[in-house]
Amino acid sequence: MKYTLIQVFIVMTFAGISLARPADAQDLLNQKVNLSAENKSMQAIFQQIETQLAIKFTYRSKLIPSGKKFNVTVKNETLNHVLDQLLTPLSIRYKIIGQQIVLSKQPKEETSMLPLPSIRIKLVDFAVKGTVTDESGQGLPGVSVVLKGTQQGTITNTEGVYTLNVPDASNSILVFSFVGYTSQEHLVNRRSALDVALLTDNKALEEVVVVGYGTQQKKDITGAVASVQGDELTQRKTTQISQALQGTMPGVMVTRTNNAPGATANIRIRGITTITDAGSNPLIILDGVPIDDINSINPNDVESISVLKDAASASIYGSRAAAGVILVTTKRAKKGQLSMDYSIEYGLEKPTQMPEYVDAGGYMRLVNELRWNDNANNSNEYPIYAKDLIDNYTQLNGENPDLYPITNWQSLIMKNSAPRKSHLLSLSAAGQFIRTRVSLAYDKTDALYDNRYFERLTTRINNDITVNKYLSASVDINFRRENYEQPNISPFYLMGIAAPVYAAEWSDGRIGAGKDGDNIYAQLKHGGFDRTNKNQIGGKIGLDFTPIDGLKISGVFSPFLNLNKQKIFKTKIPYTAATDPNIISGYMNGFSETSLAENRNDNYRYTAQFLVNYGKQIHNHSFNLLGGYEFFYAFNENLGASRGQYILNNYPYLNIGPLDLRNNSGSAWENAYRSWFGRAMYNYKEKYLLQANVRFDGSSRFAKDYRWGSFPSFSAGWVLSEESFLQGGTPWLSFLKLRASWGSLGNERIGNYPYQAILNFENSSLFYQGNNVVSAQAAAQWQYAIRNISWETTQSTDFGIDAHFLNERLRFSGDYYVKTTKDMLLALEIPDYVGFDNPDQNTGKMHTKGWEFQVGYTDKAGDFGYSVSFNLSDFKSRMGDLGGTEFIGDSIKIQGSEYNEWYGYVSEGLFQTAREVTDLPKLNASVREGDVRYRDISGPDGIPDGKISPEYDRVLLGGSLPRLMYGFNATLNYKNWDFSFVVQGVGKQNSRLTADMIQPLRSNWGTFASILDGNSYSHYNTAEQNLGARYPRYSYTSASNNYTMSDYWLINGRYLRIKNINLGYNVPQLLAEKVRIKGLRLYASVTDLWTLNKFPKGWDPEMSSLTYPITATYVLGASVKF
Amino acid sequence: MKMNLLISCFGIVALVSCGTLDLNPLSDGSSETWNSNKEEIEMSLNGLYKDAFWMVDNDDWTDDLMYRNTTTPVIDATLNGETGFILTWWSNTYKAIARANNVIESLVRAAGALTEQQLNQYEGEARFVRACQYSRLLSHFGNIVYTEKTLDIEEALGMEQSDRQVVLQKIYEDFDFAAANLKTSYSTTELKKATAGAAYAMKARIALQMEDWNTARTAAKACIDLGTYSLYPNYGNLFLTTTKNSVETVFGLPRSISLGVALGGLQDYIPRNAGGWGAKNPTWDLFCAYLCTDGLPIDESPLFDPRNPFKNRDPRCTASIVEFQTPHLNFMYQPHPDSVTVRNFATNAYVENKDTRTIAQFASFNGLIWKKGVAADWLLNSWQIESDKIILRYADVLLMYAEAKIEMGEIDQSVADAINQVRARAYGVEPTAKDRYPAVTTTDPAQLRKIIRSERRMEFALENIRYMDLIRWKLAEKALNTPNYGMLDPADLRTKVVEKGLWFFPETPQIDDDGVVDFSSMYSKGLVNQVNLRKFDASRQYLWPIPSKEVLTSGLKQNPNY
Repeated sequence: MKYTLIQVFIVMTFAGISLARPADAQDLLNQKVNLSAENKSMQAIFQQIETQLAIKFTYRSKLIPSGKKFNVTVKNETLNHVLDQLLTPLSIRYKIIGQQIVLSKQPKEETSMLPLPSIRIKLVDFAVKGTVTDESGQGLPGVSVVLKGTQQGTITNTEGVYTLNVPDASNSILVFSFVGYTSQEHLVNRRSALDVALLTDNKALEEVVVVGYGTQQKKDITGAVASVQGDELTQRKTTQISQALQGTMPGVMVTRTNNAPGATANIRIRGITTITDAGSNPLIILDGVPIDDINSINPNDVESISVLKDAASASIYGSRAAAGVILVTTKRAKKGQLSMDYSIEYGLEKPTQMPEYVDAGGYMRLVNELRWNDNANNSNEYPIYAKDLIDNYTQLNGENPDLYPITNWQSLIMKNSAPRKSHLLSLSAAGQFIRTRVSLAYDKTDALYDNRYFERLTTRINNDITVNKYLSASVDINFRRENYEQPNISPFYLMGIAAPVYAAEWSDGRIGAGKDGDNIYAQLKHGGFDRTNKNQIGGKIGLDFTPIDGLKISGVFSPFLNLNKQKIFKTKIPYTAATDPNIISGYMNGFSETSLAENRNDNYRYTAQFLVNYGKQIHNHSFNLLGGYEFFYAFNENLGASRGQYILNNYPYLNIGPLDLRNNSGSAWENAYRSWFGRAMYNYKEKYLLQANVRFDGSSRFAKDYRWGSFPSFSAGWVLSEESFLQGGTPWLSFLKLRASWGSLGNERIGNYPYQAILNFENSSLFYQGNNVVSAQAAAQWQYAIRNISWETTQSTDFGIDAHFLNERLRFSGDYYVKTTKDMLLALEIPDYVGFDNPDQNTGKMHTKGWEFQVGYTDKAGDFGYSVSFNLSDFKSRMGDLGGTEFIGDSIKIQGSEYNEWYGYVSEGLFQTAREVTDLPKLNASVREGDVRYRDISGPDGIPDGKISPEYDRVLLGGSLPRLMYGFNATLNYKNWDFSFVVQGVGKQNSRLTADMIQPLRSNWGTFASILDGNSYSHYNTAEQNLGARYPRYSYTSASNNYTMSDYWLINGRYLRIKNINLGYNVPQLLAEKVRIKGLRLYASVTDLWTLNKFPKGWDPEMSSLTYPITATYVLGASVKF
Repeated sequence: MKMNLLISCFGIVALVSCGTLDLNPLSDGSSETWNSNKEEIEMSLNGLYKDAFWMVDNDDWTDDLMYRNTTTPVIDATLNGETGFILTWWSNTYKAIARANNVIESLVRAAGALTEQQLNQYEGEARFVRACQYSRLLSHFGNIVYTEKTLDIEEALGMEQSDRQVVLQKIYEDFDFAAANLKTSYSTTELKKATAGAAYAMKARIALQMEDWNTARTAAKACIDLGTYSLYPNYGNLFLTTTKNSVETVFGLPRSISLGVALGGLQDYIPRNAGGWGAKNPTWDLFCAYLCTDGLPIDESPLFDPRNPFKNRDPRCTASIVEFQTPHLNFMYQPHPDSVTVRNFATNAYVENKDTRTIAQFASFNGLIWKKGVAADWLLNSWQIESDKIILRYADVLLMYAEAKIEMGEIDQSVADAINQVRARAYGVEPTAKDRYPAVTTTDPAQLRKIIRSERRMEFALENIRYMDLIRWKLAEKALNTPNYGMLDPADLRTKVVEKGLWFFPETPQIDDDGVVDFSSMYSKGLVNQVNLRKFDASRQYLWPIPSKEVLTSGLKQNPNY
């Protein structure tokens, strides 16, 4: 509605008319009136006025419609306002004649000009004022305060304060609602000050959940969508979002292998539906636009994350949604918000576990035993280290530590803890036309050893601009810079195997030789650096055009530019003789020359979208239609250059290196998608919900004729609690919905040009030309091409139930799903004698079944609020017909197996005697007593052949993936304190004890894990002791027999982890205001504190190899609001 | 006006979003029309010469080389269808074959543009490579799949292993075609590729391995008769990195550090004083295999002195193994336990001797260090060198010729001449100067067989030849089922050997007719150390296992007893 100049003129004119009334009449009209009438006729109301003011109403009875009843509450208002209010809607005008008020019909022309809000006073005249706060007592701006049953309302200002006039001082009900918080209703009950504290509630039914290309109310959702609020993630205190998601949502499997600075985790949604790793990664959508990596977003900028788990909710993203979709929504300024927040955090990381190894004496003793074993236990029991040496080693070390070193590599290299810090500044300002949120965050995490860190700076500016009533825009810009600095070698493998009898440093502090130049300490300290800088500039411009109510046309354009560079400067490390610093004895292994390699990667992606959305409510029927178009393009280019044999060690630039050892390389690729999609949603009385999606996708990865795929889905929901038969009779049930969905999704993430027979160029063939060596360019086809390669599709069926009890306090949500992947894209394992790399082809089927549920309980008792939730999920992926292909290895994918099921021999303990070795089947002629014994399962003729062979005696040994993944989350708050506690774990997993954990003498000189000593088969043991030995005899020759994949090394890898404990305190507002701040929060958090598991001592259940350990993080932080 | 703005905004978005989906590789070519002209064919052929397609046997699969106390899957009998190098040999070889087949099949695309002779030469090159690749498969795996065309998957899965003799005949055909159509030499402006001589020599090699003596003899003779190749005058220098493209190389590939193709990992061969690890050493078995200068084995020759074991030996002994108390890479080499210092020739100072186990625990376990080909330039480039990869040299052609004739019983003067040529070169004399080297004169087949075998071992040590020789002679089960011996540990060595005046060999070891050396007498007296045990499973190891994957998914038959 708009006000023209003419209208304003009329307003002024009428104001003038009122002033021109006679003085006595004016006095009369200025008298104050109080009225209270409910369901009364106008005549009765007039009577009330007559009794109060001793006046008389005069009118023809026809003038007032007799059947009409009115509700009027007036407190201390002037008569003329009351009359205006009462009579104008009835088109009645009044005149004061003496003590009489004469009513008459309004002339036609006057009527049309009359209803002017500025001079109409309201009968709703009871003013309620109050402050809406969040749990911490901070004023919440932008909260909507609405009089129940009307459109009438207001929103809170920047302080969280609202004022609202209500028509009925006693019975009016105010509804306070705000996104992310539970709505509350309060009876005014004659209170003029009504303060409200809103509680956050992610699971509230009114919660709006971000779904594909839009939002939906949670209660209307028919697919399987899980969501988590940003706050819950930031509480985990991980720098990368992927790691923070562990255990937060059922059906979202997050696995990690290390906690190196900047380390990320693997996300799999509802199991695995395809062969390739790339195809198993969920699609990440940031504010509506696909991006490459969820970790490119700062967790602090995240408002919420939605995970679209089933086909019905994900199929709007069709082609790339088969592995699920993760929608990340960033924070934006809220209406009326004006605030600045600053947080600082400081923390420490400590390894949760570190393996332990034998000491120098133990090492020498065990090496002797191993070599003695490999020499058929001949007469020489001290083949490497003489008995004298072992017996006197400590003393010898005291006399000459250079000749008889004792080195504790772990304590030399590892720091006690690695510090980390974060600063976060965010500013929100919302005016009438522009709302802006700016954030600037800096994180730095050091490593557990020197010269390594991860540093990140992110900024994000999100703007919402209201151009006019029909047009609004959002303009987002983000910039991110990451620096990864580390030495040229990761210490963990060598540190883990390095024997204690080698010197890291000579006694005068010079670099020691280590094991013949394998001195990980020196390599780490002096070997140069590997530095990666990543820069990302991204943005999004979105325009929303709303020509008529319910219709929204949007256009989005979003470019992302990544500029990455890497500099690997490897410096030579000479080491000198222990006795003479002038003699270079050699160079550290792998560090015998100084070289520089520089890499540049330059890539960009852009997405363009058009969306048309129309929603309409016709009586009880609600419709929503969406149509859209999207185009995506990605381009990638790599450039590399290097030079070798630098003379100087301190100029990491290319032009300092020698000309004849320079090298360079370059390559590029691109791909694109074009898509059309649509969605129709319908619901009847919010009781019967229906939704259909379809998406057509074309991908540049396929040949023209095989390029397009269509991905439909359907889903339905039935809100039983809205049915009359459940209403009233079941007060304990607040909400019950059944959901079912079916849909089909696509995947094509397999190479960039899989249908083309690509010719690769090489320069590795050299020839003599005369007596000169020249390089001649060569070309060859590497891969077999299958021209008609096309989309892989995953069909998914989901049944779900959402039930809330006890007035929303207890909430349950559960799903069962079945997924079948058809025409699976896989690198078809072809016979090697074809001579090409395995081609990508549409073949194979795979089936995944799973279930998941989440249950939560929230309540409040006085100042004490608490909430607990638990989620549990499980799935099993089984391979169907793979077109004859088998992926054979220690974990296998063959028809009938689970995805990556363990594959190996069935063990029958250890060979105990030489007799057993002679009599029983064995893998090869070198097997001896003390080695692992395997079962002869079959042979070339299908019956046991008396031999153990990799062809006929390996079988499926059970799935390798985690099962029964769970998370438990409890939050408590009391007054200014809040506390949260998260447990996460895996209920069942066949985990392999890897070579890194239990194999001695790695790389032919490595040390022995402490767990082996005394627990291995040995010729020094009694027969009884050997019967109970857990580990095979020490042997290098038989390592291939003993540590090959077999069930001998499988353990139950289930674990329970105290994932996070968080304690926060909000400094009371009064105290805070004294120092001119709005609020101050102090908090402490511990992540990955403790686990319960069956892994060997020194091993975290999430680690399987000698890499950067999983760390526990201890963080202290403060957050100030201005 | 507002609408105009709106429309133009959407218009901009629409413009940029009109990309195409027809995207082609940016930095790779398309193979559809490839090989239709000279340049393309040559590029395809060039690829067949890359180092990765020319695997060679390892000397650590034999009794010539020991890597401290470590064994390899071949000499500890743990080889099976999952062993890593088995899989790479198999798949890389078939890649080379597929690429050669692809060239041969697609040459028709260039039929109009090139002359018959050119096309034949290209085909010859491709068939040469194919035959070499099949030869290696046949000699190692035995029962292989043979194809001359690019297979589609369906066809491939229907294939079975071919009869060995059939494959051999196919190989012969390829080599014959190559010999007929390849040049015998290349001008200095051309790239030096496979020659007719190489085709003859490689044919001789596979024929000999398959015990087709007749073909081996004929092919070797054809190569000799070309007159293109001769023995390089100096045996010791032949293997230096500085000796490039020698007249002796019948087939080889050059290396170049600056062009990115080099032989690496050489630290193991370098003595510790010079900065190496001295870890991969010549075995005592090899050391004892060198004849004395009278042409007799050490246990028969009066010239052999176990206290001075390098004295009066065939010159190839000291050319291959560093003689004690001689300069090597600027240090005096001396593993003697009492030599705790040695001379550094660069500084002329005496320095700690890290080549004796008294000082360095991991100095050579048996006191021996390789000399063959080792020079100061091995230390310069991060343990990489660029010596030629000699795949077949003329001395081998001569000795193959002699061996084939001996096995055929066709013993004539040419047999002795061939062996004598090789032996005389080692002594640095003309073959005719029979008084200056132990010339072969016998015509006794058994004697000659013994001579040719020891000659090959002396001549080709560390040249990746010994393994297939052991397999061909069926001696692997004997030679590779022996312990590997070394010196006692320093303290024992001093008291039991040195102080008793028994350094270096306490006794003269005995050698049997197969050239297998017996140290058991010294071992039983506690005078030498057993470093490790070699094991060879004769029931299966004369053929390599077919990769398990091919047995399980492609339906091939595993070789016996694996």
